[in-house]
Amino acid sequence: MSSVPSLTRCPAAFNWMGLMLLTVVLAGCGRDNVNVYRLANDDSSSASTPSNPPAAADQTEGNPAPPPLQWTLPSGWTEIAPGAMSIASFKVPGTNGAEADVSVVPLPGMAGGDSANVNRWRRQAGLPEATPDELQKMAEAVQVGDQPAELYDIAGQGSGDTNAKRILGVIQQRNGTTWFFKMAGDAGLVGQQKPAFVAFLKSLTFTAAAPPTGLPPGHPALDGGGDMNAPMLPAGAAGPGKPAWTVPADWQEVPASQFLLVEYSIAEANGTKADVNVAELSGNGGGVLANVNRWRGQIGLNPVDESDLAKLTASLDVTGGQATWVDLTGTDANGQPMRLVAAIVPMGDQTWFYKLMGDEKIVAREKDAFTKFVQTARYANAP
Amino acid sequence: MLLERVIRFFTSLRLTVVLLVLSLVLVFAGTLGEVHLGLFKAQTEFFRSFFVYWQPAGARWKIPVFPGGYFLGMALLLNLISAHASRFKFSRAKIGLWIIHAGLILLILGQLATDMFAVESQMHLRQGQMKNYSESDRMDELAVTDLTDKKLETVVAIPERLLAGQGDIRNAQLPFVVRVREFYANSLLTTNAATGFVPANADTGVGPGLWWRQVPRETAMDRRDLPSALVEIVAPQGSLGTWLVSDWLEQPQTFTADGRTYSLQLRLERFYLPFSLRLLQFHHDVYEGTDIPKNFSSQLLLNRPDTGEHREVLIYMNNPLRYDGRTFYQASFDPDNLGTVLQVVKNPGWLTPYLACVLIATGMVVQFLSHLIPFLRKRRTS
Repeated sequence: MSSVPSLTRCPAAFNWMGLMLLTVVLAGCGRDNVNVYRLANDDSSSASTPSNPPAAADQTEGNPAPPPLQWTLPSGWTEIAPGAMSIASFKVPGTNGAEADVSVVPLPGMAGGDSANVNRWRRQAGLPEATPDELQKMAEAVQVGDQPAELYDIAGQGSGDTNAKRILGVIQQRNGTTWFFKMAGDAGLVGQQKPAFVAFLKSLTFTAAAPPTGLPPGHPALDGGGDMNAPMLPAGAAGPGKPAWTVPADWQEVPASQFLLVEYSIAEANGTKADVNVAELSGNGGGVLANVNRWRGQIGLNPVDESDLAKLTASLDVTGGQATWVDLTGTDANGQPMRLVAAIVPMGDQTWFYKLMGDEKIVAREKDAFTKFVQTARYANAP
Repeated sequence: MLLERVIRFFTSLRLTVVLLVLSLVLVFAGTLGEVHLGLFKAQTEFFRSFFVYWQPAGARWKIPVFPGGYFLGMALLLNLISAHASRFKFSRAKIGLWIIHAGLILLILGQLATDMFAVESQMHLRQGQMKNYSESDRMDELAVTDLTDKKLETVVAIPERLLAGQGDIRNAQLPFVVRVREFYANSLLTTNAATGFVPANADTGVGPGLWWRQVPRETAMDRRDLPSALVEIVAPQGSLGTWLVSDWLEQPQTFTADGRTYSLQLRLERFYLPFSLRLLQFHHDVYEGTDIPKNFSSQLLLNRPDTGEHREVLIYMNNPLRYDGRTFYQASFDPDNLGTVLQVVKNPGWLTPYLACVLIATGMVVQFLSHLIPFLRKRRTS
């Protein structure tokens, strides 16, 4: 079919092609190189205000984003450069060279739990570890910002002696982050400064600007939220069409799979579980019959036709309209009993699909909460 | 002759069909792969690679099992060019076909160039804040900075990919070797013992008090890994210590070597710019009486000392700033409306799809006219 070209006919084309491909491949490999930059420092730029432009802005690094909390500094305290894990550190000088340090450390999650951390402080103060019950008795109620917290006053051996160490530690859980506030130092000085420390804790204001997880600026939250690559919405905010709803406390939000708006898991200690998920589709989302048959298939039931649909569905009052309600019982792939309760909510030119599916007992128990969840959802496009 | 056989192989239509079928399989497998790997990882492993590799669980080695996107794209390109070069004779009647093929080749090459050279990064600015760099949205680098000269810092940036290979890293700017003892591509840190955590075996800096653990890589597009590494600095006279560096630690750790002060920090990879941007104000406008967004805009001050350029720019949706070969798009903002996130795209091949489309369209018109004109002439003469 094709004639074999002679080399004299197209050598330039082949040479050019080879060179081109080689260039592209080699250039692509350069990304793994160590880079060296020289950056001129000019502090004037970081001090300048928006209306007063920097003299040499090109070579300076940006000001760090403000810390995620603000405070009223007690008199005598000096703010110092924060340590590696802390976002704020203070030095409190006393008489005769006595000193105390204050640090604020946010860590994601439970960060080891309260008792482990308090016992760590006790070890630092030279005290034996205490049981959770004993720790509970030692806790003093304080206010951190607008929320209550527990303060542990840990005085090392020989309290009152200026050489002994005393630690005031406060642990507070806040939006999935554990905050540690600690004053440590000379026992006499820490005792004197305790009212100032308590006042400092009360003065704290947590701003929403920076992630309160100790994550680098701009980093998505570890609890599944996040603003990286996010659409034009603030992190954690509901989407333009996402309903506002009240989620029962025992539903655990899990990362939603593709096509789902949100997904919750309700798990029992014995390993049984049920899931709640919500999806939104434009138009009628395929219609009631197709979706009911899809759900029937998920719990091993045969499809029905239009004439049977009325017997299987009911109507449910929801905010701004009526929903179609189905309650089906079937089995999973292993023959275990499964129940599926679902609602189809048409709202404007969109349709919302709510589904509670899983272990029969859990679904029976959660049905009322699920119904309330569906009924109280508020839609941006509700009439 | 061997060379002729090679040329025959590359110019054959059979190769085209095989490559197209392989591409079809690759796209299918890559799409399925997204279920477990996530979009970003699937794209990297299937399409932005020369081979798709198979790695048994727990093994350090991997073997290529299927040609990747780069391989198939290049092979198709080679096939197209060689078939074109060998079969098409240049004549006035076929000039349109030549132009169409040139357009196709430019399109494929342009896409390859975009994939290999385009760099996307982000710039997060708080109100009043100024930056002369953007940051990668997921890759890290170990920045070893010479702080001795207060006026001029020298940063040696070691990309995460090199750290992942572990072993010794040398650079002419550093009087020591950076020895990567351990590297966790995604990690958690804590200040005390907790389930699954082990003490980070660092003996210097903040590491001695910290515990760490490796966690599975993130595959979702909206999350990223937070790597940590155990790094030993080895000077000619011996080890200077072992540091724990981590994306979790916001503050750099300093040390002295050869009479100079250095800092170590694992941070998001930075792309420095010859100019700076300062956020004057971020606007989040809504339709009156509602929370429905109407417009997002960032009012910025652009300052470039080497040209004396100093002006205000406004970036809003669908109106990016195109400057110095980069495009700055309005991408996101802080929940308190006091900060903005700009997507920074540097794509040297951004014009190629436009040029390719113009070429293809021109070729089609030329080819059509090259048949239409003789036909009309013939009709007139008859």
